[in-house]
Amino acid sequence: MDMINMNIIESAMIAIAKEMGINVQKTAYSTIFSEAEDFTCALANRAGELIAVADFCPSQIGGVPLLVRSMLKEIPLSEIDEGDVIVHNDPYRGGLHTPEHTVFKPIFIDGEIAAFSVCVGHFVEVGGMAPGGFPGEATEIFHEGLRVPPVKIIKKGVDVPEVWKMMLANVRTPRGNYGDMRALISGVDLGEKRLQELVKKYGKDKFNTIVKDLLDYSERRMRAEISEFPDGVYRFIDRVEDDGIEDKEYEVHVAVHVQGDEVVIDYTGSSRQAKGPINATLGVAWSAAFNAMLHLTDQSIPKNSGCFRPIRVIAPAGTVMNVNYPGSEVGGNTETHPLIVAAIFGAMVECVPDRVMASEGTTHGCFVFGGHDDYTDEPFGGFDFSYVGYGGRAFADGNDATDSINGNCANTPMEVFETRFPWIVEEYALRPNSGGAGKFRGGLSNVKQMLCTGGMLVSQMTNKHKLGAWGLVGGEEGKTGATLFKKSGSDSWETAVEAYGKVSPSKYSNIPMQPGDRVRVSAPGGGGYGQASEREKSDVLMDVKEGYISKADAIKSYPVNGSDL
Amino acid sequence: MTCILGIDVGGTFTDFVYHDPSEDKLIVWKTLSTPSDPGKGILDGLQNQQVGGVDYLRFGTTIATNAILERNGATVAFVTTLGFKDVPFIQRGKRQSHYDINWIKSKPLVKRRHCFEIDERITPREGVYKALDENQVRKVARAIGNDQEIEAIAICLLCSYVIPDHEIRVKEIFREEIPDKPISISYDLLPKWKEHERSSTTIADAYLKPLVSENLKRLGHKLSEAKDIKRVSVIKSNGGEVSLEAAKNCPIHLSLSGPTGGVIGARQLSNLINIDHMVTLDMGGTSTDVSTVVGRTESFTTSYEIEFGIPIQIPMIDIRTMGAGGGSIAWIDKGGMLQVGPQSAGAAPGPACYDRGGELPTVTDANVVLGRINPQFFLGGNMKLSVEKAKQAVKSIAEQLGETLENTANGIVKIANNNMVGATRLVLTEKGLDPRDFTMLAFGGAGPVHISDLMQLAGTPSGIVPNHPGQFSAFGFTMTDARVDLERTAPMTSRFFNFDYANRVLSDLVAECSEALVEQGYTEKIEVLKTLEMRYFGQNHELEISFYDNEFSENAISSVWDSFHEAHKKRYNFDIPNETIELISIKVTALALTPKPQIPIIAYSDKLPSPYEKRQVFFDSGIASASVYRREELPVGKIFTGPALIEEDASVTVVSPDMPVLIDKYGNIVLGKLAAEYKNKL
Repeated sequence: MDMINMNIIESAMIAIAKEMGINVQKTAYSTIFSEAEDFTCALANRAGELIAVADFCPSQIGGVPLLVRSMLKEIPLSEIDEGDVIVHNDPYRGGLHTPEHTVFKPIFIDGEIAAFSVCVGHFVEVGGMAPGGFPGEATEIFHEGLRVPPVKIIKKGVDVPEVWKMMLANVRTPRGNYGDMRALISGVDLGEKRLQELVKKYGKDKFNTIVKDLLDYSERRMRAEISEFPDGVYRFIDRVEDDGIEDKEYEVHVAVHVQGDEVVIDYTGSSRQAKGPINATLGVAWSAAFNAMLHLTDQSIPKNSGCFRPIRVIAPAGTVMNVNYPGSEVGGNTETHPLIVAAIFGAMVECVPDRVMASEGTTHGCFVFGGHDDYTDEPFGGFDFSYVGYGGRAFADGNDATDSINGNCANTPMEVFETRFPWIVEEYALRPNSGGAGKFRGGLSNVKQMLCTGGMLVSQMTNKHKLGAWGLVGGEEGKTGATLFKKSGSDSWETAVEAYGKVSPSKYSNIPMQPGDRVRVSAPGGGGYGQASEREKSDVLMDVKEGYISKADAIKSYPVNGSDL
Repeated sequence: MTCILGIDVGGTFTDFVYHDPSEDKLIVWKTLSTPSDPGKGILDGLQNQQVGGVDYLRFGTTIATNAILERNGATVAFVTTLGFKDVPFIQRGKRQSHYDINWIKSKPLVKRRHCFEIDERITPREGVYKALDENQVRKVARAIGNDQEIEAIAICLLCSYVIPDHEIRVKEIFREEIPDKPISISYDLLPKWKEHERSSTTIADAYLKPLVSENLKRLGHKLSEAKDIKRVSVIKSNGGEVSLEAAKNCPIHLSLSGPTGGVIGARQLSNLINIDHMVTLDMGGTSTDVSTVVGRTESFTTSYEIEFGIPIQIPMIDIRTMGAGGGSIAWIDKGGMLQVGPQSAGAAPGPACYDRGGELPTVTDANVVLGRINPQFFLGGNMKLSVEKAKQAVKSIAEQLGETLENTANGIVKIANNNMVGATRLVLTEKGLDPRDFTMLAFGGAGPVHISDLMQLAGTPSGIVPNHPGQFSAFGFTMTDARVDLERTAPMTSRFFNFDYANRVLSDLVAECSEALVEQGYTEKIEVLKTLEMRYFGQNHELEISFYDNEFSENAISSVWDSFHEAHKKRYNFDIPNETIELISIKVTALALTPKPQIPIIAYSDKLPSPYEKRQVFFDSGIASASVYRREELPVGKIFTGPALIEEDASVTVVSPDMPVLIDKYGNIVLGKLAAEYKNKL
């Protein structure tokens, strides 16, 4: 193996993926791209293996290999021409959830496909029963938005107007979707151009050899990491509190079999698939397993299909971990994915206690809204993130107000948010006392209170309003989240169940909000790690001094008394 | 006759470049820096060298940079709108990297217990939504006044970029209530949307104020006692000079003062020798700074983070720093791949070849093994290097790789170069620039060693090693102009464009910029540049379009919209014809041009370049017998080709086989295509 040129080609490919991402981010219309970076740019080889990816949105990274292979099943290599661009979002064809659109472009070298340039991005508006793509009460895929199987949106460099028209006619914000699609396409165009330059420099054969070696190298690194784990079977069960349709819990079972240099992650025993949209697709079940393993191992391992080879996933069909057609699934990618990762950490605390954390809030809040904006005289759709508390660790407190583990999305600044949408933000703050007590406490989550200034429909897909983030090694549970409404003229804050008769307080569709109504979205805090009694007293006092916990909570949870504070 | 002194106060050395017009020459010297009292190093240096009077003393400083890095600034009170005091703690909600379970979120430069809220509200759509309650403001002011810990105040109210009245009024009330504590307000620093970025910038300014103003006061005092110095100025992050008095009021503008010198020098050089586009590489022991000069001007940015999640957004020269330098350590990772950096052997123990106890192989060691650095002539012969130690160090990893010593050393250099080129490319391609249009300017001790490899790798056809590559930054500081950048958010679209409003903002900005220069005593030769930040309506990132007219008229604005479509097409490869375009901000820059040293011209010579020896040097293409020259002995205008080494006190320029090279009439080493073209001009 040429370990010198491997380094050079790997970092050159990552730089290409980064550059693709910059193009996407700078030209996109939705704030979920341009501010939140909910997209991924990657390169794949002709077999569909991921060969390089830049750090944008993690939930999409593990999904890329399945996406490319599913696309190739329907459009074989022989039918792809230079200059084609293929778009796809179907969760039942390797996709992660309906809002996530993948755009592929073949990279030709000497008249032959050598690789693919790939951009995956989350479109806010995708049609379906509720504006904003997260109908918490969807019961089939058709409610969730327009399904797009792999189709060519550009043929040999020329737009295919039929496809563009069909897609834009089925969403509420065609102008924005058009801009976002152009942004993704500008990303894959750039990837094509840059990779061609790179391959030309080294020659196709040398490039292919080095890429093959690179995947083997990543595999070797991953195997070396796994073989340091003590062999055994490590189990954990976590629960999704409800599915938006029925008020009952769903179990996520995880058994991590560590044997030698391989790992099998088995979800057998998980609940049958839900009626509501909390189900994971197969792509999500894989992606979550990979995400957890990348957290447990050395983060300098190059991220490509090679490092996934020693990891097998068993996801029984017809369960919440691998939904059967035509079940609904939009929250599988946002809510169930981080819950699976947390459960794998929960299982692995016995195996590698220093490398895991207690449960984080495992949700992105996914508060969505849309309608017609009188201010701009245009239809609008928006997605708002919440930031959860992270779990305590064997060596440090959980981080405060951070995007859940399968995303890495930035907030939309309040000043941008209020410019774009008919909302006034009244409070954007940390939630003191929301982190679970422990030797290392859970992180605090955030709260956002908003006043509606224009009529709209709101929907939400979140979790942990009933079941808090669990602690580990004696650490306590983090505070649950809550979404509360206060109708114009009313004095009381009520849940969606109380105010609008919904089944679930955390998953619902199409609540009509009027000017003067308010909503207060609180995210769940993180779980603690270790016994609260072992926390350094000075840390407790500092938390009180800085207002991260109240005096009352400190006295209740930790061995301190009023005279200490 | 103007005598100019440029000073670069670095971590280890303070460099001085003095231009004396009567003798038409540059005098270059250095002293040890005195980090505890940066002014002392300057005064020491002034005493060490006999120079005549100084009309302009200009220096770059790391006082602000270090205060931020070492976190030893003031205790700040942060004052914001009711409901938003946690903005600096929430930040933007992102993690630094995806898979790092060990990551600990960055702490802002303010404590949560020192955050205060004012009951008021301005919104982008409603304007003043809740009026200011002045009694409540006074209460908050008194609470802060009574807190003995607090040394400075940062005020950032929501949407103050739309209507600044509340912020300005709060400042007035605070001044009345607590006259002795310095106050920074966001509208003065960054009148632009995005509350976290604006708050963080304002907090950083307040954080620096007491320390920086104390330091500058002391220095100004000492310099006024020292000999014949007429005018003292300090260099801002935008590469413009500012009087010490004005600098005290907004110290955040000094936060990236130090590294700007090289880029200013590059800009000046590009004008002198008629090269439009340059990419600069300042490569030292532990890091490399990369920047660009495009169309003979520096590139600017306002996007910078002092650490992950803690932005400061001030106008600054766009300089990217990478952790790759001569001291970067080579190592084998767990999977057997050769890696270089980011760990560095630094100055102590330094590379293995320094023979000061370092045993790990560094980039410098690899260059010694390859025969590129002369062990007998390092730092002009003041330091002898151990070839044996360098070989031993590189050998340790060569064995693990199963490679020869030379292949391993070559691999180390190649990987270091690749890391640097990655950053170089990103600097260019982020802006849609093509490396083939650029000339690489390499300086710092290690830049010239790598220049010809980097040119080939980055695809820049030509390269230049300027005179005094080790002191090029201080040289740049002799060349600064006074510069003020102001910007205001003024959102409007191509569908609804308010000419009166746009013209009012523009004329206000022009007047404020010019006044700021006049206050510092610059009254002549003022140039004003105007740019518009624009995007398609719905996008969130802007492109900058130059505006050449004096006011917005129907004609002027319609050509602006056309320019935007064109610029979008050029930058991103597509445009959206007929789409609404949004103007976000108007930016105005005022420049007061100042006297600059003339660079002496060296006469052509009929001498032929004659190497003082031949040496076996390992290049990527194999081993070759390289001619070794002393830089000062090379004649002007005589082209020759590599393999060659051109040695001087501070560095060595490595010329790879077949690359053309010559010395131009100013003494620059010119490499590649440009050197070949010079031949035709002679």
